[in-house]
Amino acid sequence: MVATTLEPGLKHAHFRTAGLPAMLLLPQLLILLLFFFIPSIRALMQAFLLADPFGATVHFVWFDNFTALFASESYRNSIWVTIWFTLAQNVVTIVVALVLAFATDRVVRFQSAYKGVILLPYAIAPVIAGVIWAFLFNPAVGPIAFCIKSFGIAWDPNLNGWDAMLLVVLAASWKHICYDYIFLVAGLLAVPKSLMEAAAVDGAGPVKRFFQIALPLLGPTLFFLTTMNFVYGFFETFAIIDAVTRGGPAGATNILVYKVYQDGFINLDLGSSAAQSVLLMTFALLLTLLQFKYVERKVNYSI
Amino acid sequence: MKMTSTMPRAAAGALALIMSGAAAWAAPVEVQWWHAMNGVNGERVDELVKKFNESNDQYKVVAINKGNYDEVINGTIAAYRAKRPPHIVQIYERGFMTMLLSDAIVQVQDLMDKTGHKIEWADFIKPVAGFYSYKGKLAAMPFNSSSPILFYNKDQFQKAGFDKPAETWGEFEKQLYAIKKSGAAECGTALATDYHWSLIENYSAINDQSYATKANGYDGLDTEFVYNKTLVVPQVARLKKWLDDGVLQIAGQGFSPEQLFTSGKCATYFASTAAHSGIERNAKIAWSATFLPWEEGRQPKNSTIGGAALWVIKGHKPEEEQAIAAFFDYLAKPETQLWWHKASGYVPLTNKAYEMAKAEGYYKESPTREIAVQQLNRGTPTENSLGFHFGNFTQAMFAQREEVEALFAGKKDAQQAMDDAVKRGNEILRQYERLNKGKY
Repeated sequence: MVATTLEPGLKHAHFRTAGLPAMLLLPQLLILLLFFFIPSIRALMQAFLLADPFGATVHFVWFDNFTALFASESYRNSIWVTIWFTLAQNVVTIVVALVLAFATDRVVRFQSAYKGVILLPYAIAPVIAGVIWAFLFNPAVGPIAFCIKSFGIAWDPNLNGWDAMLLVVLAASWKHICYDYIFLVAGLLAVPKSLMEAAAVDGAGPVKRFFQIALPLLGPTLFFLTTMNFVYGFFETFAIIDAVTRGGPAGATNILVYKVYQDGFINLDLGSSAAQSVLLMTFALLLTLLQFKYVERKVNYSI
Repeated sequence: MKMTSTMPRAAAGALALIMSGAAAWAAPVEVQWWHAMNGVNGERVDELVKKFNESNDQYKVVAINKGNYDEVINGTIAAYRAKRPPHIVQIYERGFMTMLLSDAIVQVQDLMDKTGHKIEWADFIKPVAGFYSYKGKLAAMPFNSSSPILFYNKDQFQKAGFDKPAETWGEFEKQLYAIKKSGAAECGTALATDYHWSLIENYSAINDQSYATKANGYDGLDTEFVYNKTLVVPQVARLKKWLDDGVLQIAGQGFSPEQLFTSGKCATYFASTAAHSGIERNAKIAWSATFLPWEEGRQPKNSTIGGAALWVIKGHKPEEEQAIAAFFDYLAKPETQLWWHKASGYVPLTNKAYEMAKAEGYYKESPTREIAVQQLNRGTPTENSLGFHFGNFTQAMFAQREEVEALFAGKKDAQQAMDDAVKRGNEILRQYERLNKGKY
């Protein structure tokens, strides 16, 4: 009721002419043009070319780069790897961040230290984080690998694809938990205390309060975070993969974005790399659209 | 008023003075060299350039480290496309075909002829010159060349009752198993990150196995990999067996395989002769080195090189080309080569430099530094051992490594893995052929 009358007012209140808002948008649009639209269009063009990296010879090959990709076993493998990787990373990140965020209120002493420790990984450069994880879990020298092996569990991410996948999922999640944590703590703060107290008075324990009250009210935050986690998994985990496994063993952790880098930057196969980046962007767009279409409907924005 | 009118004149006078000064001591012609040498060898490059710059007052080389090999070639491509390329770039050996057919370079032998420099190309060590030659002429200036050798732990071999590693793979294998079994060392050998180079490519060369048709690509772009039909298949099967038996160890990410050797965990290490500096610095063990093994009953051929060469980007001014040529002339001098050989651990590029090192008694004090040179000079290169001219060689190599990893993980057997590697490699070669048809 109130909201519907407010909204049109909001839209018209501040700007009387179109000039000022356009001016204010301009810097952002320029940045987008330079760093997003122009490169994207160039990648799209390159995706239809078979080209010498120096640009001496260029053939227009229609969809050859794309058909070659879908015919390639390693590319199809990379799609599956990416799906598993982003899903697992998403689940681990959100679940752990939720537990930590919900526990924040229950940490009575040293609460700021608790928050500080959780936020720390965000400040560590992904490459450094990756190297540390690779070292800790290295079967030959890593202390954690040593512990795992002392329990009689076979562990070798250099040979076993599952071990390698587990390792990069953990490393990527560890790096991103703090991001989700901040949003969830903020989201939990927005849950009215009165509701929680009322529930407590009615005899609901912390677990029940979490599932029955906090979680539904966190809906919008969780929705936003899943989208962000997918974007993170798709695009930003590159450095961790590079430092922890380099996409190996035998392509077991070769996610799409890493393959784009490897084929473009190392192998200098620019056409294929461009085609891959176009496809990757399409996948990400589709996924986001699907999320908005099907998941967002279930999200309740009003408290 | 008076003051203002004299001011411009004074300024003009000063300018004239500066200009006459500049004419008297003409600033040296400056050329840019992008390289990928870092750490100790990066300092050596700086020293080399400083020595050249001090040796003459006409030319000045400015050496800039642009990261690793991949970063240098990508930086070169970006700079070339932006029409602001450097003069000289250091490109790894696998990039040979990419550079050769890029239309972006001046072949080095043409450049030297054009600028009137005489270099005794015939004196270059054969597999070095052979790798970088196109139709009998050097396309790039060889710079840092190496070859793999076998480092070993003397104490551990002695403990297991051996003097040194055996010459043939069969005997060597028995030794490694004996070393592990006797407890002399925890593992027989550490797998280097560039094992595809030392244990597959060089293995093919030394045992005179055909790696690909058309003389390993020297005779045409329509070359096809055939190493799935050669001794390479039992060779990778052997590595897998060693891995399963704990004789071979993979260091993996986050840890360098060299440390497995220098810490005394593994008894041997197949690595580039350029690993000398690291091993000398870090090893607390009694170590030595020897030739790569070969298969029983075969006459071992020469090994092939790795490393990088210097390419000249086209389109620079004639006086700058003179400067580049003068620098290369300086590089090819036996004295420079001898110094570089000793300072960096790479092999000398010319036989003259090698003879000088021998005459000086250098190999008496560091005998293991001679192994790579002798190995490269062994016999007359055949078409299987001269080198590899494959387009998109890096890509084909990565496909092969992925298949070897699948073998190591137990997903495929050796034959299947090599068949798949060859199949993928040939697709990569065909793509290169399609792009560059008629250019080679």
